[in-house]
Amino acid sequence: MKKFLIKTALYTVLILIALELLVRALHLYTEDPPRFIDEYGVEKRVPGHNGYAVTGNRNQNFSEFNINSSGFNSYREYTPTKEDFEIALIGDSFIEGFHQDYDESTGKKIEIALDTVEVYEYGYAGYDLANQMHLINAYQDQFELIDEIIIYLNYESDLNRGVYEPNKQRIAMLRSTVFKIRDNIKLLAYGSKIGIVDPIKNLITGKAFQDTEQGYETNKIEIPERKEKEYLENFKSLVSLYGFDKCKTTILLDSRKTSESFLEYCDENNIKYLDFAPTFESSKKPVTLIYDHHWNNHGRELIASVISNYMMSREVSQDCQ
Amino acid sequence: MLFNSIEFLIFLPIVFLLYWFVFKNNTKIQNVFIIFASYLFYGWWDWRFLLLIFLSTLVDFFVGQKIYQHLDEKKKARYWLWVSMAFNIGMLGFFKYSNFFVDSFIDMFHAFGYDIKSTWTLRIILPVGISFYTFQTMSYSFDIYYKKLKPTQNFIAFTAFVSFFPQLVAGPIERASNLLSQITNKRTFSYDQASSGLKLILWGFFKKLVIADALAPIVDDIFANYHTYPASTLILGVCLFSFQVYGDFSGYSDIAIGTAKLFGVELMSNFKFPNFSRNVAEYWQRWHISLSTWFRHYLYIPMGGSRVSQLRAVRNIAVIFLVSGFWHGANWTFIFWGGLHALFYIPVFLMGRNRMYADNVVGEKTLLPTPVEILQVLLTFVLVTFSRIFFRSPSLTDSFQYINQIASNFTYEAYVHPMGYRMIDFYILLALFIIYEYLIRRHEREPFKFKSKIVRFFLYTVVVLAMLLFYDDGVNRSFIYFQF
Repeated sequence: MKKFLIKTALYTVLILIALELLVRALHLYTEDPPRFIDEYGVEKRVPGHNGYAVTGNRNQNFSEFNINSSGFNSYREYTPTKEDFEIALIGDSFIEGFHQDYDESTGKKIEIALDTVEVYEYGYAGYDLANQMHLINAYQDQFELIDEIIIYLNYESDLNRGVYEPNKQRIAMLRSTVFKIRDNIKLLAYGSKIGIVDPIKNLITGKAFQDTEQGYETNKIEIPERKEKEYLENFKSLVSLYGFDKCKTTILLDSRKTSESFLEYCDENNIKYLDFAPTFESSKKPVTLIYDHHWNNHGRELIASVISNYMMSREVSQDCQ
Repeated sequence: MLFNSIEFLIFLPIVFLLYWFVFKNNTKIQNVFIIFASYLFYGWWDWRFLLLIFLSTLVDFFVGQKIYQHLDEKKKARYWLWVSMAFNIGMLGFFKYSNFFVDSFIDMFHAFGYDIKSTWTLRIILPVGISFYTFQTMSYSFDIYYKKLKPTQNFIAFTAFVSFFPQLVAGPIERASNLLSQITNKRTFSYDQASSGLKLILWGFFKKLVIADALAPIVDDIFANYHTYPASTLILGVCLFSFQVYGDFSGYSDIAIGTAKLFGVELMSNFKFPNFSRNVAEYWQRWHISLSTWFRHYLYIPMGGSRVSQLRAVRNIAVIFLVSGFWHGANWTFIFWGGLHALFYIPVFLMGRNRMYADNVVGEKTLLPTPVEILQVLLTFVLVTFSRIFFRSPSLTDSFQYINQIASNFTYEAYVHPMGYRMIDFYILLALFIIYEYLIRRHEREPFKFKSKIVRFFLYTVVVLAMLLFYDDGVNRSFIYFQF
């Protein structure tokens, strides 16, 4: 019995070591460049990091990222001038674009379509509207030189707060020993990514014993009226706190997931928004990745075309001239 | 509790350690512990149905004694045997087949132009494993009746025999002569047995998690949308289903046999690489062996087997296959599937080739199979796979429409995975799996039987890596045979 237990333990350890080496050699794990909060209270990535973001069990999506000196994933540096025409694209992980090579980003696709513009992508996984408005406010000097601002609003998750507070807890959590261990043991990072660690997590948190029937009711996101009001109030609060340049700011949204009352408010208050839902709906090819809900290359092409068409056809009102 | 669940991964080591460290000195207490663990294992799914297992245990324990007491009076012994059969088949009939009979009755009247509004269709949950443990307990009564076994006086050992958790839910369907004697006697820990058990568990997990679960979404998609696909995709779908169901069920059996080994118990082999069978008769000697031998011992032979006129022997074969089909599920598709196998089997039987591959494997004396063997294996695979259209389809109409779609839309189109995954990954996986299974074709209980420790270690690592590479948390992880 003793021999059996010792040999089982030994083989388990050896297999885990071999797997760790294989996961590293095949680069099955994904890299997550470190995050920090700068002196303006803006949460972003530590500049100068390069690496690969990987999606899927078998490297189905393998893309290179490059964190520029501003702390965002982009092939270009952000140096706006009065002479050039710059567009700022602000948003969460969809704009951060770790699911594509950094030199094939949505911004780059817009630049190719419009030829004479520079697109600055201020994308960061987890940004909500409060983060985005704070960013514009914090980097006021830079944004005064930028000619157009496109804010990607994920209505279901971006309007949960009306005041910005830097998420120090998240940064602390990501710097905690548990996360450091996870990031350094690539097998664990890989297991976590593909969801194999979830049953253990669920067991520890007791989630495994809860009724899972609700889990089958996916993709039916209905925002109750109470939430709609709260979201609108949060939006108003952020606008009053940071201001909203209606001349050069446009909200990019998916009307299928946005409440009508919010859209009505935008219409009534001359807040421009760009709806990509019709374009996505008419697409014959899938617009998201296999493993998660982020846009795939085709989805990004469509978003870029929606933005570039809008830029080409927009009419500048007299008040803004 | 599912074998492939985190609960089982916690349950197994705890039960193993308690079994060998705390209860090892007393067989009786060890058996009580097996019962407790087994009832916990089963009750994790639904504790209410534990009562059925207990009732089945109680009835056959009592009936076994009665049959033995009246062995000299054939009529009385037979009466008690009928009591066991009536109870077990009655239970099975109620939970598994009652709605089928009601619906078929209504359909029959409907065919003659009468419309009956059913008030008899019941909302019944099929208790997991009922087809397996009822057959196991019945085998005990049969063996006593046929004087192959003396009844046990040890109720605890008998209860442990019926409920032994590794094989309770989906077999192998054990005979009392094999399992009960092991449970009655003292078990001693054997390093070789336990380590061979772990290896079998690992291989079983590979077959379930990598082969069956990876193919499941593809098969589900093709069978759900068969009317939109060309012949190439439909053929692919049913071929992949053949591998899915094999990986799923033989994987379960391997985990069951391996787990039993950890507790010092040897269960019978249930699968012996059926995909390398050279005719349908050999296939049935290699596929779900515990069920086919059950029918052979307790139905085919009592009916006269092959030692009767050829016409009667053919009738006996047809009955066995139809009953076997019906055992799988309360649906005409399974009966049709069984009937098809009878049609495939009878010519082999009439040519006297049904036992010719009983003691050898494909490529018996050579590394590679001969061209004739390759053709035989392919032909058998085609026949068995064709029958699987009926096994997998929800109704006979769907089965025939599936076949019709193959014939009427005989075109090729590259299949795209429903989730967009690369199909080449699955083709490579299957090719490697077939090659590896061919290499180990003589050792169904020792899937890693290689002399070199390095080779073995490499294989363990590759198998675990494959589980990670093909893990999909969106797949329903239940075993296909749980529904039977």
